[in-house]
Amino acid sequence: MAELQKDPVTRGQFLFMGVVGSLVGAVMTIPPVVFVLNPTIKTNLLGQSDIPDDWLELGSVFEIPSGEPKVYRVEFPQEQTYNGGGPLLGEDSMIQAVLVSWKEGEIPSILENGDQGSFSTSEIEELTQDLNVMSNHCAHLGCPVRWFPDRGEFLCPCHGGIYTINGGLIGGPPPQGLYKYAYEVREDGAIYVKHEFTNGEPWVV
Amino acid sequence: MISRIKGWTLGVVQPIADWTEERTGVVTMLEHFLYEPVPKRGKWLYTLGSATLFLINLQFLTGILLLFYYVPTTDNAWDSIYYIMTDVYFGPLIRGIHFWSANILMIVIGMHMLRTFFSGAYKAPREINWVIGVVLIMLVTILAFTGYALRWDQEGFWAWEVGIKIGSYTPFVGAYVATFLLGGDTAGPATLARVFVIHVWLLPAALAPLIGIHLYLLRKHGEFGSEFEYSKRLAELRERQQIEEYALYEEGDEDSRG
Repeated sequence: MAELQKDPVTRGQFLFMGVVGSLVGAVMTIPPVVFVLNPTIKTNLLGQSDIPDDWLELGSVFEIPSGEPKVYRVEFPQEQTYNGGGPLLGEDSMIQAVLVSWKEGEIPSILENGDQGSFSTSEIEELTQDLNVMSNHCAHLGCPVRWFPDRGEFLCPCHGGIYTINGGLIGGPPPQGLYKYAYEVREDGAIYVKHEFTNGEPWVV
Repeated sequence: MISRIKGWTLGVVQPIADWTEERTGVVTMLEHFLYEPVPKRGKWLYTLGSATLFLINLQFLTGILLLFYYVPTTDNAWDSIYYIMTDVYFGPLIRGIHFWSANILMIVIGMHMLRTFFSGAYKAPREINWVIGVVLIMLVTILAFTGYALRWDQEGFWAWEVGIKIGSYTPFVGAYVATFLLGGDTAGPATLARVFVIHVWLLPAALAPLIGIHLYLLRKHGEFGSEFEYSKRLAELRERQQIEEYALYEEGDEDSRG
């Protein structure tokens, strides 16, 4: 048998040790833990982001083809630790591929009229509703998906996630469809995108 | 000739060994650490733990060497490894040992676990050693995963992204795990700094004392199924048989008297 207590402790001593022990423990553990959790606190609790809350221009609605997505390369300015807007992968920076397609791949009738001028508010609304602006990161484990023209689907190389042209989930392990960026269409038909997602949080991206 | 050299060597070494032993007890300690009875059956399988320890030590040593040149920043990490592989003398050898012994370590540690499982070496009183072993294998797995990401090439980067996404599926705290590993909400310089700290400081610092406890507990209880344990058990069995036989004999005796 292991002997647990050699000198009996009184209630007062026990209480004193408990109070002083908790205080010393708190002083020693809270600063390092909060120090390490700094980005977690700022992101999850205060809602801050490494990417400034700005609109970035993608391209024009006239560039989006029928029946397949157009891939845009967007360079998000990144402010994380020492280098704001600095490089991410070798000489690259926080560059993301943004997939833009029409709903079901059909070009809306407004554009077929050949109207190259400015759009009215109702036309902008219609165009916005007809667009899909998606992240190319698979909703399963974040691998980059690619458009397969002969299949008419997005396929993920890692575990076989399959998505429609609208980013809807067809099959495979992903729990949901492709992540959608917050976007808007301006009067001249320019598409603007923001580093913000309307259906779930993809992280990493 | 040989015997003369042997005698001369013993004459020099013996006093030094005795002197050290008297003051530190290091010779008995070495004997205690180096000699361990193992079962005759499957004796080579009992070297897997030592092989694991050897490979982990190799990781520590080559890892320290690699740190002389590795730079944990997003713009320099890949180039610093390229420099190790092309310009540094024996760079490919040192990095190759680190890389291949890490790969072999994963295999050997798995075999070590299988041997422990199939020989029943996790049973009382060795349960805690099994639990520590499981923690160790998890730490080594995370070490392998973070080492992969430190290269900051396409392969390592995407593997780490997958790892973070796996972590983000943790129930209730998934979002916190992701931002903790990323150092923000996107992958960037803070992410690599975190991977570096986890791989080079945090996990090795956790690994070392756990290996110490693992070895201490092994020495405390010995290898399961060692000759000593078998002979002790056999002796107990024979003693019990003798007592039973004697009891039977006495019973028979009483019967005959009555």
